[in-house]
Amino acid sequence: MLKAKHVDRLMTGLMIGSAMIMAGILIFLLGIILLRGASHISLSFLTSNSSSFQAGGGIKNQLWNSFYLLVLTMVFTVPIGLLGGIYFAEYAKDNKWTSFLRSCVELLASLPSIIVGMFGMLLFVNVFGWGFSILSGALTLTIFNMPVMIQVSEAALRAIPNHQRHGSAALGATRWQTVKTVLLPAAFPALLTGMILSAGRVFGESAALIFTAGLTTPNLHFRQWHLFAMDSPFNPMRTAETLSVHIWAVNTVGIIPDAAQVAAGASAVLVLVILLFNLSARIIGRMIERGIKGN
Amino acid sequence: MLTLEKPKASVTPIKKINPVFQVKDLNIYYGDTHAVKDVSLQFPERAITALIGPSGCGKSTFLRTFNRMNDLIPEARATGEVIYQEWNILDPRLDVVALRKEIGMLFQKPNPFPKSIYENVVHGLKCAGVKKKAVLDEAVEISLKQADLWDETRDRLTKSALSLSGGQQQRLCLARALALKPKVLLLDEPTSALDPISTAKIEELLLELKKEMTIIIVTHNMQQAARIADYTAFFFQGRLEEYGATAALFEAPKVERTKQYLSGQFG
Repeated sequence: MLKAKHVDRLMTGLMIGSAMIMAGILIFLLGIILLRGASHISLSFLTSNSSSFQAGGGIKNQLWNSFYLLVLTMVFTVPIGLLGGIYFAEYAKDNKWTSFLRSCVELLASLPSIIVGMFGMLLFVNVFGWGFSILSGALTLTIFNMPVMIQVSEAALRAIPNHQRHGSAALGATRWQTVKTVLLPAAFPALLTGMILSAGRVFGESAALIFTAGLTTPNLHFRQWHLFAMDSPFNPMRTAETLSVHIWAVNTVGIIPDAAQVAAGASAVLVLVILLFNLSARIIGRMIERGIKGN
Repeated sequence: MLTLEKPKASVTPIKKINPVFQVKDLNIYYGDTHAVKDVSLQFPERAITALIGPSGCGKSTFLRTFNRMNDLIPEARATGEVIYQEWNILDPRLDVVALRKEIGMLFQKPNPFPKSIYENVVHGLKCAGVKKKAVLDEAVEISLKQADLWDETRDRLTKSALSLSGGQQQRLCLARALALKPKVLLLDEPTSALDPISTAKIEELLLELKKEMTIIIVTHNMQQAARIADYTAFFFQGRLEEYGATAALFEAPKVERTKQYLSGQFG
């Protein structure tokens, strides 16, 4: 028979083992992607237009599209997600209606992104007639990201102890005043972290965008100030292939001779940006937390 | 002997009182739990009344009736009357937000907001719509002085309230409540998380504040009740067992259970 002490040691070992496996996979993956891609990343790769059949194309427009789509998506997602989260955490009564709504959010959050993409194509691209466009893509990604934002906001608010709510209420604050002046500022570090992490997910999303934002991008002119010109970077009605869609496209439908290198370089850039999101989420969150505590 | 009469609490009439609250047949329930049972008593103005009794006797629940904090507990409901000025506090139509501006509260654990000291003090005023900087500045100085915290914080009003010590945090919470110039102060074991020196300081402040306002304090600490309270009410299992002047209640309790509790036979 094993002694309790041995079982304890065994379990500790297993736990350390699984943590190591996870870290190992991550490091291995990152290592391969960065090693294969890093040699292809150069200033001209980042700042030149992509090519459709010759070698030597860059990813300037795809990188821009990814960021622009992300910003638009967050503009839609953050207010809705925040209000939804506040509703669930602070206002919703614990009844069947609330649990129904909660199941809806959970279900929406777990929908495969390809399905959300099909839905976006039907609704925004076809029914609304917006075609493959940044707007269609951003709204589709909003559907994809909003439930996550709601869950993040709700969790951030719920993590604030009740004595804060009681303290504020006892001073004659209404529920909304408490939310606005006590709870949201207190939850801000967690909200921001959640927002940046979900931004990483949006930034790397491809399946939902293939049918909504398209597989091509016009060559953008960054001095084009007419918003609705086809080559305006800010035109929300133009097609916009993003970085991750580009990776998919050059690998599957692309005919450029250096597809493998472009894909590797683009992958490395994508991974680096997402890594940057995650790191900044942690650093900024910690910085604000320290600011609040006043040490 | 069988009797249909409910056991009556021993309530010693307090002479010439000007009651702030008149509680009549108050019952409070949490779902199926009957937390406060048939309590009737009056709270005299500008005095400190202590609510004592063993854990779970309903004294905190009773305290939270006066500013309707029990509203925040979804399952809680109350019957009976709590008359304050010309209103029944239990009336669902009553403006709770306005009520809580007149009846301040201090909690067991200091609960400053994670904001600056200044913002903590003006929270109630800002929620009440006060915007003028001069008014807010003045209120901050006056209420921090009332809470004896001004000298320690005047140079760091913009610093986070969480950088204060526990005792300072509780005095900040007191200042925060005082900024609204309340008529009544409710305290729910306000010193149970504090060291003896901070406790003494809070007690000193309460004795000063009772000149201007009515204070009701829930306490586990019988010495504290004996030190600062003018009147004391003893609760047991949701019932008011005995109520009277503190000295009389501590020296010559009329009810057997009070005697047992005060002598430490249970608690």
